[in-house]
Amino acid sequence: MANNKYDVKDYYCKHTTRCTVEGEKKSKRFVGRNVLKADAEDKVTGEAVYPNDITFEDTLYLKVKRAVHPHAFLKDIDISEAKKVKGVVDIITAEDIPEVRKFGLIIRDQPVLVGIGEKMRYMGDALAVVVAENKEAAIKARDLIKVKVEKLEIITNPFRAMEDDAPDIHPDGNILITHNLDRGDVEAAFAESDIIVEKKYQTQFIDQLPMQNEAGTAFYDEKKGIVNIWAATQWLHDTQADIAQSLRLAKGQVRIIQPTIGGAFGKKEDVSVHIHLAIAAIRTGRPVKFTYTREESMITQSKRHPITIYNKTGVSKDGYLKAWETKFIGDTGAYASSGPAVVHKGMYHATGPYDVANIRGISHAVYTNNTYCGAMRGFGTTQGAFAYESQMDILAEKLEMDPAQFRLQNVYHIGSSTPNGQQLNHSVNAEETIKRVMELSGWKGGQKE
Amino acid sequence: MQITLRVNGEERTLDVTPYTRLLDLIREDLGLTGVKEGCGKGECGACTVIMNGELTASCLVPAPQADGAEILTIEGLAADGKLDPIQESFIEAGAVQCGFCIPGMVLAGKRLLDENPNPNEEDVRYGLSGNICRCTGYAKIIDAVMMAADKLKVEGSVNNGE
Repeated sequence: MANNKYDVKDYYCKHTTRCTVEGEKKSKRFVGRNVLKADAEDKVTGEAVYPNDITFEDTLYLKVKRAVHPHAFLKDIDISEAKKVKGVVDIITAEDIPEVRKFGLIIRDQPVLVGIGEKMRYMGDALAVVVAENKEAAIKARDLIKVKVEKLEIITNPFRAMEDDAPDIHPDGNILITHNLDRGDVEAAFAESDIIVEKKYQTQFIDQLPMQNEAGTAFYDEKKGIVNIWAATQWLHDTQADIAQSLRLAKGQVRIIQPTIGGAFGKKEDVSVHIHLAIAAIRTGRPVKFTYTREESMITQSKRHPITIYNKTGVSKDGYLKAWETKFIGDTGAYASSGPAVVHKGMYHATGPYDVANIRGISHAVYTNNTYCGAMRGFGTTQGAFAYESQMDILAEKLEMDPAQFRLQNVYHIGSSTPNGQQLNHSVNAEETIKRVMELSGWKGGQKE
Repeated sequence: MQITLRVNGEERTLDVTPYTRLLDLIREDLGLTGVKEGCGKGECGACTVIMNGELTASCLVPAPQADGAEILTIEGLAADGKLDPIQESFIEAGAVQCGFCIPGMVLAGKRLLDENPNPNEEDVRYGLSGNICRCTGYAKIIDAVMMAADKLKVEGSVNNGE
């Protein structure tokens, strides 16, 4: 990228073109072979460039003033003392960017900056962006910003959020989305069941905790009208589109350059530093850099959903699953992120690899004032796995059956169909997997010693 | 204040403030960005350097404390463009995924092998216990250190024969 004033470089991944073996057709180069990772050498020598490793000459540093209360109206924000800090170049509040729109992966419900009269909904909400010549000045100024709020009830429990007298976190109410599942005749199947087990399961918040915190650099190329952002994302083109709609730019005016990513596991699907960087880059005309601290990353960016799962399962006395009723209540936190997809995906997988003809379920993704929840490895299904595997063990004990045998006689095979009606016509290895585990572990039939 | 230290064999004299972290001095003043920051609290090992022969979390060291110190970062490990056996082993064992923990892991592995050229798996696990990796599950990282120990044994016997 040529630029008269600043020497900015691209730093995108250069490895895609290096994996060539002469004279071989595409798939034969890799399939069935051991291939050394193309970028491993750069990573063992420290040469690989991650987002936080990029600093251009004359770079400005960003810090964000975040919410002071998990659920409150912003009544006043005073930046006068902060502005006097030596080295502060710009302090951006919502009134400076009236044209900027909300963002979000599925539902655009997340404000770029909370304005006066608007609500902060969790501790990660941004109230102001400080831009300074160095990090120290940015931190000092951020801490001098004074905020007045009108506190509201803090809702940290989705069951409280669903009560009639609970305050609405978002205008459309606290239940973000509800999904239903209904197959077969669940009532009749329960009536025919010999044993019915009904249990409640609770999972917790988990941070994906990639080793690298959210970080990035941006520079606005004024001549071309393009804002360049060097930062990690797992959805490059969705992130580009979301930033563009938020800033009312054409997609072509937002260019994201992916440096090497220091882990993500779902956490980097959401916008983090990107929009604040873009706004600061456009306003100042200088390269800008923003790096989250670990605390900021944990407070601000997504988590795995804590889900409360109710499972009611009916079996015949010879150990066949007859009926399954389930309920998934997911705490999706303050913003939607991937929540609308995660919680109901969990419900669709409520029976895991086990075949149940009659199933009924309901899922609610519920807003609270906790840090928002989104994608993490498994996308809702890991929470369900804890519940259905526990349920299977409890059932096996009641049936006085070997829990492995009980599982074996209920797993999917080729031709089975899942609760949402997907036909499994290709590779179904549940039986083989369980048998192999029994063999490798020297399984003795689950007898207590 | 001014401090003088040797980094990767080169003597450097720098102006620092009393609250500059060694990590920032290395990354920002010396431009050695192979040293990473994961937590800033001495928990994760991403900022590991070898300081005066000891594994050190550079995020916990005030820069003035490094006055007169001898420091090795990941950038100083490959000699004349030739990878150290432990770096080769990390590549060959498939121990590298996102790579963010790898500079610290490699240095922790090197420090272990310097002290104990014949580690068993438990020794390796203990030697790497200050370094967190979130991608690999550690199995291949442990393989890599064991592989490096084997390589160094072979190299050592060749050198002894000369």
